[in-house]
Amino acid sequence: MTEKLNETQISRRKFLKTTTLTLTGGAVAFGGISVVAFKKDQLQLRPPGALAEELFLASCIKCGQCLQVCPPQVVKLAGISQGFGIGTPYIVPREGACILCSGLPCVLACPTGALDHALSLGKDASMGLAVLTNPDTCLSILGVNDLIYQLKNLQKNKKTSLDQIQLKEILTSLIKRMSENEKKTWQKKFVLKDISENTLMEGVKKIKKMDLQWIINFVSSSGQARTACQVCLDECPIKDEKPIVFLRKTDAETGRDYIYPSVSKTCVGCGVCEQKCPTTIASIKITPRLEWSKNIT
Amino acid sequence: MGTDIINKDQKNSKVRTFQGPGLRSRNCPETGHSKHKWRNIRWSVLLLFNFLFFASFFFDIQILEGTLSGSRLLGFHLIDPMAAFQVILSSKIVMINLVIGVVTIVLFYLMFGGRSFCSWICPYHWLAELGEKFHNILKKKKSFKRLSNYKFDPNIRYYFYIIFLVLAWVTGYTIFETINPVAIISRSIVYGPTLMLLWVVALLVFEILFSRRAWCRYYCPVGVSYQLIGLLSPLRIKWDKKKCSNCKRCLSVCLVPIVLTPSVNRGKAEYVDSSLCTRCGNCVDVCDDEALIYKIKYLDKII
Repeated sequence: MTEKLNETQISRRKFLKTTTLTLTGGAVAFGGISVVAFKKDQLQLRPPGALAEELFLASCIKCGQCLQVCPPQVVKLAGISQGFGIGTPYIVPREGACILCSGLPCVLACPTGALDHALSLGKDASMGLAVLTNPDTCLSILGVNDLIYQLKNLQKNKKTSLDQIQLKEILTSLIKRMSENEKKTWQKKFVLKDISENTLMEGVKKIKKMDLQWIINFVSSSGQARTACQVCLDECPIKDEKPIVFLRKTDAETGRDYIYPSVSKTCVGCGVCEQKCPTTIASIKITPRLEWSKNIT
Repeated sequence: MGTDIINKDQKNSKVRTFQGPGLRSRNCPETGHSKHKWRNIRWSVLLLFNFLFFASFFFDIQILEGTLSGSRLLGFHLIDPMAAFQVILSSKIVMINLVIGVVTIVLFYLMFGGRSFCSWICPYHWLAELGEKFHNILKKKKSFKRLSNYKFDPNIRYYFYIIFLVLAWVTGYTIFETINPVAIISRSIVYGPTLMLLWVVALLVFEILFSRRAWCRYYCPVGVSYQLIGLLSPLRIKWDKKKCSNCKRCLSVCLVPIVLTPSVNRGKAEYVDSSLCTRCGNCVDVCDDEALIYKIKYLDKII
């Protein structure tokens, strides 16, 4: 009896010893391997105030409070593909850009200071820089009006019903740019009771696909609808410091005059220009973590 | 029934003494695990808190914002100590909000008993408890009769605690947070399920097939912080020697049976003093003698 008990005791002790050694060894090995395996070189656009990437990954506690307080709800949490970044916040500007809201609630919500509390104004953030990555498709360089471009795209769509959400977006910016007289013409065409912006927006629901051609002609003939697209400048949330300016240039071969967006030092990389860029693939894109000194050559 | 057991004990007394330290004669009715008062309260609290995490974001009611790693209860910071220590060690920066959050948590669990976090709040613990029940149901079936329950060294959790803190300091990453099942589940509850849940499912399957509640019992370093708080917390289970009839049913339902042995088995301690006790109340529920109750230790000395 006693002999048998000892045998089981011995085998149990052996089992405990080996499992303990394997598991603790495994944990250390996991730590060592993960430093190499979980490291990702591709940088993400972080919320404003994020510390330098290495330090940010070290300090982020992955609670997601920045996501919860974000007014435009653009902050996402990284998944398994992000390696060490699992659960860390990032922003995809094309799907929804940071609007640098006043007070920066995400920074205030961060309990660990991974989003640096020293930052209090959106214009002082340094998330990255906007870069004109696809100048070939840029509407301002091509000299195309953004509204006409988008309306024509809508027209080309073979579905019989109109994409109301897209139409509403386009016409919102159109109505903002209209003059009194243009508003009156618009009122006559769509039989509206007055020319206040609200009534004009209400009238958008009545618009059908066959009206599109009329609207395109209306925009082409109107003075207020500019000739070339300047959406990135219009939508930029930083007004005073002018992160984007439009410069004039002449094409050396054809002699054609055109304007192009130029990004300056004051750009914080919020990504609104990338989100609002009307081309199918954004012509202007944010490079995360890019700093001006490195950009300029 | 009661007399039968005593006779049996006396017969086998040469091999092993079953006579325990309880003083009452053994005639407790064999009602089994009939009451579930504390378990029901506990599970309600657990589900309520995790629902509050979910609802604070989903319905934007802003009561308990964040996840179990870090949150704010009506604006007050709460931070999981293990996560906070990792962040401090990996970033080498001490943020005041972190300290406030950890101190709040420490004070809270000093009042409510340390590892009570595990059984009263932790969503993984709840899943593991269900997994344990599933394991027991499976074991009753013929084809699963030989389902094993390996017991590991319970000290592994301390090794893990130290290893992952040292790793955070050396590598500069909060490595454990990438595999922390508590944080993964909590994030999934609030922000929607992620692929990392597969890791949690793997853990649960391992527990059901090989070792019941293995993560909570042997590995989890998150619980170690709460255990350290529990060392000092006066809210404990009190064992009344005079009322105990020594039926040992408490040992069969206890989530961490070691903690009851000094009192129930050896009769040496009035309170369950082990910091491993999760204050789950299973023993309080099962005891028909009312020999086990929640009590605040030292309270009678102060008043």
